Amino acid sequence: MRRRSFCTAENVDGNLQSSKVHIFDRHLKCKQRDRDAWLINQKDSLVNTVADNLLYRLEDVNKTFPTTLCLGGSLEAIRRSVHEQGGIEKLIMMDSSHDLVKLCKDAEKDLSSDNIETSFLVGDEEFLPIKSSSVDLVISCLGLHWTNNLPGAMIQSRLALKPDGLFLAAIFGGETFKELRIACTIAHMEREGGVSPRISPLAQVRDAGNLLTRAGFTLPGVNVDEYQVRYNSTLELIEHLRAMGETNGLVNRVKFLKRDTAVATAAVYESMFAAEDGTIPATFQVIYMTGWREHESQQKAKRRGSATVSFRDI
Amino acid sequence: MVRASIVVEISRTLSEILVCPLSKQPLRVCEKSNSLISDAIGVSFPIIDGIPCLVPKDGKIIETPTDDDSLDTKQCA
Repeated sequence: MRRRSFCTAENVDGNLQSSKVHIFDRHLKCKQRDRDAWLINQKDSLVNTVADNLLYRLEDVNKTFPTTLCLGGSLEAIRRSVHEQGGIEKLIMMDSSHDLVKLCKDAEKDLSSDNIETSFLVGDEEFLPIKSSSVDLVISCLGLHWTNNLPGAMIQSRLALKPDGLFLAAIFGGETFKELRIACTIAHMEREGGVSPRISPLAQVRDAGNLLTRAGFTLPGVNVDEYQVRYNSTLELIEHLRAMGETNGLVNRVKFLKRDTAVATAAVYESMFAAEDGTIPATFQVIYMTGWREHESQQKAKRRGSATVSFRDI
Repeated sequence: MVRASIVVEISRTLSEILVCPLSKQPLRVCEKSNSLISDAIGVSFPIIDGIPCLVPKDGKIIETPTDDDSLDTKQCA
């Protein structure tokens, strides 16, 4: 996989209104994730890379996180990547798909050599069943971009954290699947004379900082990485998306994706983006977000008017 | 009728931090129905294969017990 510096983002603004916008059919999403639990490829290098990067950030932090809540997305990738980072002792694994949680739980016996105590539950990030101020770290690897109410889910995560607790999340950003988005639009317009949403609205890099502060996190941090994955065919790309549990879960979807349009999309994609060796590239932009639950020990800007030195004197 | 006893095991870790997803109030284990009860809103959430399912749509509103059941449901309602 090659890394590239990110370029400017397109104009998509999905989840930031305060009124509840019902973009994602969570029930359908759940069913898809149940089905896809069985397709999960343990060697998915993109997902593993993101999980490793997330956990790597813990090593920079001078703190331990004994009790950690892991929110759904790529649970199994996080579980496999957790070793000594951050002094995690208890890992609570949560996803909205029962099948996925069960899969993780069953895989636990292969990992019992480390000393981490794992617990499992089925739950929804938008209705977090976790007592406030009870966990040291909330970590979410490629899961939150599916929530209808992302600010709400982030607020709930913050409340679950103890003071000075850390929130670490990786979500797909607006540049993700840009090739597929373009190909879909063109094919759809040619075939059906209209465009229906196929690819979910994704947060832009500039929105990530706002999301963190809006949720009340202090010391927010945002990083972006862009990965390009190469596939042998568009079909393989779709299979990968299915395996990641990322296929179309939009509420306003057209009931049936017409076969003609699907074929046309593949053709447009290949003609526009295929590399010389015939492989199909797909962009995955990952936004890493960090935020802390407020605590007196954290640095804060001084109150306005409390300055004791004037710039003139410096 | 012989009723098989279901052992409901919620780990200590979970029992200390789980709350009702809607009311955020504490939950109570009900061994009879193998579920977690939120008394605050009168809803029970199932435990399937030992995994608590606390997604709102999985919650079932608890029926008010009738007189016949008053002994049985003492623990749960």
